[in-house]
Amino acid sequence: MELNATPSRNGRPRASHRELAQRILDHVRERGLGPGARLPEQALARACKVSRTPVRAALDLLVDQGFAQHEAASGYRLSPDFLPTSPLAGPPPGASDADLAGRILRDRAARRLDDSVSVGALMRRYGCARSAVTKAVARLAEDGLLVRAPGQAWVFTSLPHAPASQADSHEFRLLLEPQALSAPGFRLDPDRAAGSRAAMTAFLNRPDEGLDPKDFQALDTEFHGLIARGAANRFVAETLAQHLRMHELPGATRWVNPVRQRQAMLEHIGILDQMEAGRFDVAADLLRVHLRLSQDSRPRAASRGAPPLPKPGMAGGSDG
Amino acid sequence: MADAPVIAFFPEAGFGAALTCVGIANALRTRGARPVFICPPGFNGIFADYGFQEYCLPLGAPLPADEDWRAFGRRHLPHLNLSPIDQIETYVAPTWEAIVETAIGAEAPLAALLTRLRPDTVVLDNVVMFPAIARAGCPWVRIVSGAETEIPDDAIPPHCSGLATGDREGRAAFISRYLKAIAPAHGRYSRFRAAAGLAPLPPGQFLETSPDLNLLLTPSVLRHDRARPLDPGRFTHLEGAVRHEGPFDLPSFGNRQGPLIYVSFGSLGALDVALMQRMIAVFGKMRARFIVHVGAWRDAYRGVPDNVHLDGWYPQPSVLAMADLFIHHGGNSGLCEALYHGVPSLILPHGWDGHDNATRAVETGTGRKLHRADWTEEMLITTIREMFGDRAMRERLASNATVMQARSGADLAADRILALASGPRPSGG
Repeated sequence: MELNATPSRNGRPRASHRELAQRILDHVRERGLGPGARLPEQALARACKVSRTPVRAALDLLVDQGFAQHEAASGYRLSPDFLPTSPLAGPPPGASDADLAGRILRDRAARRLDDSVSVGALMRRYGCARSAVTKAVARLAEDGLLVRAPGQAWVFTSLPHAPASQADSHEFRLLLEPQALSAPGFRLDPDRAAGSRAAMTAFLNRPDEGLDPKDFQALDTEFHGLIARGAANRFVAETLAQHLRMHELPGATRWVNPVRQRQAMLEHIGILDQMEAGRFDVAADLLRVHLRLSQDSRPRAASRGAPPLPKPGMAGGSDG
Repeated sequence: MADAPVIAFFPEAGFGAALTCVGIANALRTRGARPVFICPPGFNGIFADYGFQEYCLPLGAPLPADEDWRAFGRRHLPHLNLSPIDQIETYVAPTWEAIVETAIGAEAPLAALLTRLRPDTVVLDNVVMFPAIARAGCPWVRIVSGAETEIPDDAIPPHCSGLATGDREGRAAFISRYLKAIAPAHGRYSRFRAAAGLAPLPPGQFLETSPDLNLLLTPSVLRHDRARPLDPGRFTHLEGAVRHEGPFDLPSFGNRQGPLIYVSFGSLGALDVALMQRMIAVFGKMRARFIVHVGAWRDAYRGVPDNVHLDGWYPQPSVLAMADLFIHHGGNSGLCEALYHGVPSLILPHGWDGHDNATRAVETGTGRKLHRADWTEEMLITTIREMFGDRAMRERLASNATVMQARSGADLAADRILALASGPRPSGG
């Protein structure tokens, strides 16, 4: 089976293009560029240490989202109404119902697809052409969600929201996120921080009926992304960003009750207060508490006359 | 300004009781009270997530490992297929022994906690009395979040019997066998009570009614006529106490359409993955959409049909607000939530008052019942189809839902609890 990892220019953005678009936006903000400023492909490619081809794809994504404009004669520029605090919209690859990669992920989360799939089986299941399926498989493989197995098979990797992975994912974040925040060289993006604060404050002002778990999750990811992006160690930053993206995948929404949604937003804002004041050690401590409080503590089973069965990794059901 | 009254909730270690208490505690909080939770082992974090202070009782023994629960499943899942009367020796009596053991182990730490906490009122949602509560120096409230049969009466079927109303012969046989089987547990519990200075309870009973306030979830549509009516001064019927859980977005079912059916057998029922898989295979052949709660065992499922979405947790009241049918084990909280939203119940009971609720749902025309395992594909499909075609049942449920929704059980409970908490403290204790 031949796989073409290059998506169509008209297709949905790949995760790497979205990430690159975010890096370009970060670069623009760091340099204080404003509306109308030029975005030269070559300079951006150099700054981001990639070739011009992906930079062009990322710039196209920024054009699609209204951050930039493109003219054949003069190239890419920031839009006249560019605001540095606007977040990059859009879910990770495959979040749209129409998107085949998203449908595959969603069906995997719902156990409609088994551990192992083949392109032929996916073609039959979704009634899609081989080219569309190979493209979706390539996209998922690029994001590390599918790996090639012997023969024609592809195997799903562990997703952080799978029951067996939740404890590991939580422990991973508990190890790395506070460390990223308190390590020397951490840099907070002030514009993104302001944008995140404004969005969380607006969320808190909604009535309970308006607290949508998906919106909560998007804000949660954006906030924790601030920490990932601010890490001085590039491997820590990349690893955290990749892991956070997994929490945004279709089928990954974890239901959180409105009270806990509000608590979590207030905890975020408290951490943000400390970050903006430059007290990163305090922020890291608060972050550790926040992550512990955010762990799903529901026992796996409970029955009259039998002690509840705690979540994996939660000795005695407590935060430990 | 007077301090906010402290209301200490002590639910048993089950999701039904725990979340019923959360709903009432929310209503108390909006009235300025300070609800706190005495946490049964394993449930810490649950109430904090709803914004309540938790006080955890120390564990007498470590919580079970996976293997212990698998052993529990292996031992008890076959018992869940037995008739209610045959569950007495195999399932109910051993469970009572475990409950008594837990109550004895909890007594000293609970007494110490209540001494420190000095609550204005204790709210107990359990099936066993803890002497420390009776001696806490404040009024206590009993919530009956299980079936009405928990409070015995000569005119209603015995608790856990699943008997029809008026089955005198069955009643005598059940009670005789029940009292004999649980006698050792009851004897041990009676000695424990006596040592703690509490009067003994009649044979078969482990929890008295509160002298002050008892709150029953069971709505009027299910209620029995009692030989000795409950004193309205001490007993309040809540017509359910359904909490609000925020919005729930329906998952994708591809291009599959049809009525929406919610399926949950609780976390214990979810242990029976093989039975769930057999049921899901039937669902795949039907023109309907199914949301199936599978507890912690989602990874055990393969080849789930497109018209079925499964997950480890759903905000049940929010899902039921959209559902056309609820297939469940007869847990009283779930049944009340279904009734609150006018949703018919297809009950496949596996134990305790699930049997009572299944029978009562049939008697009152609010649901149907099937044996949990002894059904065929045709029986299951036919029953569901018949329920969708039962216009009288739907009209009855819609009318009842209007009554229940007009009367917020949680608000009523909060008002009654607050009135009690602000009254004079009992002299005893």
